[in-house]
Amino acid sequence: MWQVYLKELLELSRDRKTLMFVIALPIIVFPLLFGIMGLVMANVSRQAEAEEHRYVIVNAELAPEFANALFYHKNFKKVESDLKEPDALKQAIRDNKFDVAIIIPADFSQDPAQLKQHQWQLIYNSSSTLDMIGNYFNELFKTYTKKLQQERLASLGVVTEQVPAVLEPVKVKKLNTAESRENIGEKIGGFIAYLLVPLCLMGASYPAIDIGAGEKERRTLETLLICPISRTAIVLGKFFTVLTTGLITAMITVVSFGGWGYVIGSMMGVDVVAKTMQALGFVDLALILALLIPLTAIFSALLLSLSIYARSFKEAQNYMGPLSMVIFVPLMVGLLPGIELSWSLAMIPVMNVALCIKELVKGTMDYQILSAVVGSTLVIAGAMIAFCVRWFQQEKVLFR
Amino acid sequence: MIEIKHLAKAFVVGKQKKLSDSEKNDVRYGGNLFHSVRDVSFDCAKGQVVGLLGPNGAGKTTTLRMLSTALKPDAGSILIDGHDVIHNPLEVRKRIGFLSADTGLYGRLTAKENIEYFARLHGMNEVAIRARVEELFTLLSMHEFANRRADNMSTGMKQKTAIARAVVHSPELVVLDEPTTGLDIMTTQTVLDFIHSLKEQGTPVIFSTHHLDEVAALCDRVVVINQGISAFNGSLAEFSALATGQDLRQAFMAVLKKDAV
Repeated sequence: MWQVYLKELLELSRDRKTLMFVIALPIIVFPLLFGIMGLVMANVSRQAEAEEHRYVIVNAELAPEFANALFYHKNFKKVESDLKEPDALKQAIRDNKFDVAIIIPADFSQDPAQLKQHQWQLIYNSSSTLDMIGNYFNELFKTYTKKLQQERLASLGVVTEQVPAVLEPVKVKKLNTAESRENIGEKIGGFIAYLLVPLCLMGASYPAIDIGAGEKERRTLETLLICPISRTAIVLGKFFTVLTTGLITAMITVVSFGGWGYVIGSMMGVDVVAKTMQALGFVDLALILALLIPLTAIFSALLLSLSIYARSFKEAQNYMGPLSMVIFVPLMVGLLPGIELSWSLAMIPVMNVALCIKELVKGTMDYQILSAVVGSTLVIAGAMIAFCVRWFQQEKVLFR
Repeated sequence: MIEIKHLAKAFVVGKQKKLSDSEKNDVRYGGNLFHSVRDVSFDCAKGQVVGLLGPNGAGKTTTLRMLSTALKPDAGSILIDGHDVIHNPLEVRKRIGFLSADTGLYGRLTAKENIEYFARLHGMNEVAIRARVEELFTLLSMHEFANRRADNMSTGMKQKTAIARAVVHSPELVVLDEPTTGLDIMTTQTVLDFIHSLKEQGTPVIFSTHHLDEVAALCDRVVVINQGISAFNGSLAEFSALATGQDLRQAFMAVLKKDAV
């Protein structure tokens, strides 16, 4: 068995495509992709922050403080226009004559004696996810209405110290019992599972195709089958090869992300990695990796069974798409907000491991459930391996 | 001594499969089974070379695969030196060397690594492997490309490597499935020389072929398989006696015609 294992590893290490998938992708391509994504996003929001919006204000003289605050706002630039009607203003915005219009009604008055609610109109295109204009106006209105509130309350005889008691009779202070680790864990725990589980699958899939269907396609399988070594030994040798590459890919990725994170963190003065590593004790880290082993074993046995069944490399690749869907769905469901690890969910493969990783990162793992997850994953892995071994004995699979 | 008696093997055919006209005429289709090999019997004594002849799809490869333990027969028996292939495949595998035209080498491994891998799978120890590899490399003059990857070899080099791989464990029987099909003249000669040297050493060889000149040059016995049945089984002299002239082709056609009646 180990002769098969060593030979498969040697052969895979000679293959440029495998090296691409197992080493180059996680070390260089992924961080690069994520890096570029981050840069683009940072750039977009910086541009959005620096952008100057042209505005038109109708009846500005009725609310001079507001008009002034808007005039001196760094993100707004006043544009003169004779338009007064909402529809005309709307059309002008669509025609890109300016970006935003505020209509103060003609009957508006700042006079505190007049206790009356007024309706202003704000016209702009709010379809952008980064609703910068909306945010700016919220700020401006908040300041302005606060001033009006105070003036009106004063006119009703409420003194300044009493104002908060009227506006906010009850103030609630929330005390969070969660440790800061739980908060970080909830955010990045899911991300870590999301990264690691597909990587284990990806790292295993290419070698699985290569040493199953690939061997059939290159016509070396028959020669191998008539060697005085049991088919169980052959299939286990291949299985361990696939398992190894899957785990190596995951490890390399974790290390590379850690390394890149450290480099970027120390360059920009953000110590996210250090914080994460502190939050994640050594034991938890080891447990996460230990969880991945039986999970990757399930993947490997599945992939190898499919690959041995396939007549050719191409056919095997066609099977990989549906398989990854089958694995991604429970993974995604497991990471939906609100889904917590429970005894029943501990029995669902892939999902249970994803949830466990999240809990481990959060530091709120129930170790009884953890052992149930490990147990159920091991049982399924064992069953899959047994199936794969039986599968490999079948002539109708080997000689299709 | 190899004895093959009443060998039979059927494959399951998908129900949806539409049969072509020629396939419908093939008597071997029955229900959802295709009886690839129905009744094949022959034997081979020590030092004999047996040539397996037959049209494409006659069941030659299936027969050889059963002989080499890759497939399990449904019925019949194969005895190699008294070992039953069906009940004791591991013992038999140690004694057999197998080679086909498409060489079955691992392209990313060098000639040496390919041969060493199969030697290890045959349970040879490292000292024995080193000595045997050295011996084979000299015998087949392979030293110059010993460390070249199989992907980068010429067909001739590949076939030499495949030959060395097939006999690295000094098998007691060598099985060759169309070893010369698709090879150029020089490479074919390498294979034929190899069969010849096995014959001189007294190692029995069973090989399938479409080239009657190879049969005439090398074989002691001839077996003709037609539609899964061994239609002829006898010595080369008996086989050529079926022909009116010197041409073995006529003998072959005579066997097929007799079978069809």
